[in-house]
Amino acid sequence: MIAYLQNIAVLFCINAILALTLNFIMGYAGIFSLAHAIFFGVGAYATAYIAMHASDSLLLCMAASAAISAVLSMALALPALRVRGEYFVAASLGLQVIGVTIFSEWKSITGGLGGMIGIPRPKLWGYTFNDDTAFLGLALVVLGVVVAIIALLVRGSFGRSLMAIRDSESAAQTYGKHVNAIKTLSVAVAAGLAGVAGSLYAFYITFINVESFMLETSILLMAMVIIGGTGTLFGPIVGAALLMSLPAALTYLPFLPPTELGSIQQIIYGLAMVLLMMFRPGGLVGGRSKEKSA
Amino acid sequence: MTTSTPSQEILLQIRDLNKSFGGLHAINNVTMDLPAGVITTLVGPNGAGKTTLFNLITGHLTPTSGTVHWLGKSLKGVEPWQVARMGIARTFQDLRLYSQMTVEENIMTVMERSSWLWQGGGAAATQRVNEILDETQLTEKRHERAVDLAYAERKFLSLARIMASQAKLWLLDEPASGLDPRSFERFVTLLRAYAKRGITICIIEHNLDIVIKLSDRVAFLDQGKLLAQGSSEDILKDPHLAAIYFGERA
Amino acid sequence: MLFTQLFINGLQTGALYALIAAGFSLIFGMTRIFHAAHGATFTIAGYIFYECYSVLHLSWPIAALAATFAASVFGVLLDRFVYAIIQRHEGSFFTVFVASFGMAIIVQNLIAMIFERGAVTVSTPLSKSLEMLPGLYVAPIAAVVILCAVIFFMALQWLLTKTSMGIALRALGENPTLIEVYGLTPRLLSQYVFLIGSILVVPAAILTAATSGLNPAMGNHVMLISIAATIVGGVGSLRGAAMAGLILGMAENLCLSVIDPQWSEAVTFVILFLFILFRPGGVYGRAVVS
Repeated sequence: MIAYLQNIAVLFCINAILALTLNFIMGYAGIFSLAHAIFFGVGAYATAYIAMHASDSLLLCMAASAAISAVLSMALALPALRVRGEYFVAASLGLQVIGVTIFSEWKSITGGLGGMIGIPRPKLWGYTFNDDTAFLGLALVVLGVVVAIIALLVRGSFGRSLMAIRDSESAAQTYGKHVNAIKTLSVAVAAGLAGVAGSLYAFYITFINVESFMLETSILLMAMVIIGGTGTLFGPIVGAALLMSLPAALTYLPFLPPTELGSIQQIIYGLAMVLLMMFRPGGLVGGRSKEKSA
Repeated sequence: MTTSTPSQEILLQIRDLNKSFGGLHAINNVTMDLPAGVITTLVGPNGAGKTTLFNLITGHLTPTSGTVHWLGKSLKGVEPWQVARMGIARTFQDLRLYSQMTVEENIMTVMERSSWLWQGGGAAATQRVNEILDETQLTEKRHERAVDLAYAERKFLSLARIMASQAKLWLLDEPASGLDPRSFERFVTLLRAYAKRGITICIIEHNLDIVIKLSDRVAFLDQGKLLAQGSSEDILKDPHLAAIYFGERA
Repeated sequence: MLFTQLFINGLQTGALYALIAAGFSLIFGMTRIFHAAHGATFTIAGYIFYECYSVLHLSWPIAALAATFAASVFGVLLDRFVYAIIQRHEGSFFTVFVASFGMAIIVQNLIAMIFERGAVTVSTPLSKSLEMLPGLYVAPIAAVVILCAVIFFMALQWLLTKTSMGIALRALGENPTLIEVYGLTPRLLSQYVFLIGSILVVPAAILTAATSGLNPAMGNHVMLISIAATIVGGVGSLRGAAMAGLILGMAENLCLSVIDPQWSEAVTFVILFLFILFRPGGVYGRAVVS
């Protein structure tokens, strides 16, 4: 039982980091990305590759994962952000599709469809995180650091810049904000931290393949952010917790056919999204906060 | 005919500016100077091109021909955010406040121009924010969201933002429209105070009261052409211009 | 010969994509609603046709009518009950998109639960490929597809240019407030747009059912194509979306002569990226830079 709960807890930490980072760009900057799973994946594959071929140092691998994801995201963001938001959605969808194909085909780096097996547990200052409880501790610390980083950014000048751009991009430009630079930077931060989540994931599960990084995952993450509440610090965490407990909760309902649980889960997210957008667009934590502008 | 005295420095120079949108010649050979510390009002009938002129200065639109020089530097090809950092700021007719942010945040974020992830403001910045809140009488509302403010308060917040921008040239687009008499007086006092500190102000206004009370100079724009510039007395007394303004064409 | 084969396949796919993209572009261009459930409309139409024709053994005109009815009802009700409510109090791009997306997820999974998860096909006498030339296999249904697309586009063209409703619809895209001056309601016209846009996918859905088959997740691919074609063709241009749909269909097939099949979906997006980078206005659209 303990092992089961620990497992859920680690996965929750990872999903919470992903939801928090996606919310950073969606809820604060107003950038809608359907490619978040790809940055998660890039981080995971980067760590897997380095850990298996070079060094299993925790800090090195995480830093590399963060850096590679961040740089890749800037390559996407710089051109795509020059045009309107709707186009970014399309471009991110494209990145998601192409990313999955690359993950599946680039056998030498990603192991192709089979994925990568036998990733070692990370080492930090001589200690190897083989114990699952210790790993949970690590995951919680990383989650805490990510929350702190995002809170600092959001409550500080960068957060204000993002919200200004979200509320009135033309006014923000007029008062000296280099909108493209700020948006690109926010995408880089979000992607970099998503890469860190990927690194954690690779180290924990010790086996990764493309199935974890497909469109379904990006959609799930979007659902977590939306249902929990965009533009709030704790919304994504609530969303992650809720959506992760959904599968377990469903198994307690005896009248549901077990083979259809996956579909039923998805129907529930879909329904939640539709109803929330109709009646409570700010999500569960945010409330009715989305109103027309001043 | 300009009435700038030799001791006044010309900060903004517009020369032979033209802007066409397809067949529409929106700005037609406009030549104008804005000297330091002078309040100029831009008047003219609707559709005369006043807001377009502002857009051309701030870089939101690119001229078809002609030049705009600010402090001796050409603004050709300069992006709006860069123009802002060079010291020009404007307000919008529809305000465009940061609606979901508080009054305080609206002001703070204007002062935080860098794109870096972290900018410390320090005590000086906090003091300036408090000063601005005080001058615009928004101190009590500092934690209210912009969208929840009353009309006059929104107008003052719009002004507060430009005060925070440290700009030397203010382009105000109908800043006082719809204000009640008391707020209006406050507004005028505030603008005069800033003009005295050396800020150059150019205001688009329909309200002749403002034009009379505030302006040192008036520029009359009609159908994209600058018909006259001079003291408010001269311009407002001209019957020919009045006829155009009130709709009868000569 | 491979090239000719791919070319004809490309024409067939392109014709279907053109119809799908036109429906989406019509809706997006005129109502500014990012109808992410367009793929769901397609899936519903396809499966209703399959159910009526292959399972209940009704005649194909009745099955087609049923499919059209289902698709139109879905599109119009979604607009009337979901989008209308959202637009009334807030209606930002994000909110509408998410609601639409949520709807698409619901439909995809409901269909997966009701029908099988795998692919189903509708077999018709016209689906069988005939060897027209050595190495060139074409099914007569390809001709039906192309003919259908042409007829529907001609009908759409007539509707938009010669009928007063059509002209009103085009005005809706330009200036919704002007509509009210003429005594028409944007809400009602919006429902017409959804009706027409949803009907446009029906022939594509039926023909896809008869050619490559249906699966519950196909709505995703339909959305990908719709979005890509609308951007490449130019937002607001119906002709552009249709043309882009055709180009994408051709590209998807022709590229098979040089690359592996798993990359063909990626080709669509490479084309999309190139347009976003160098010509965001698309082929026919107005240039849109923020």
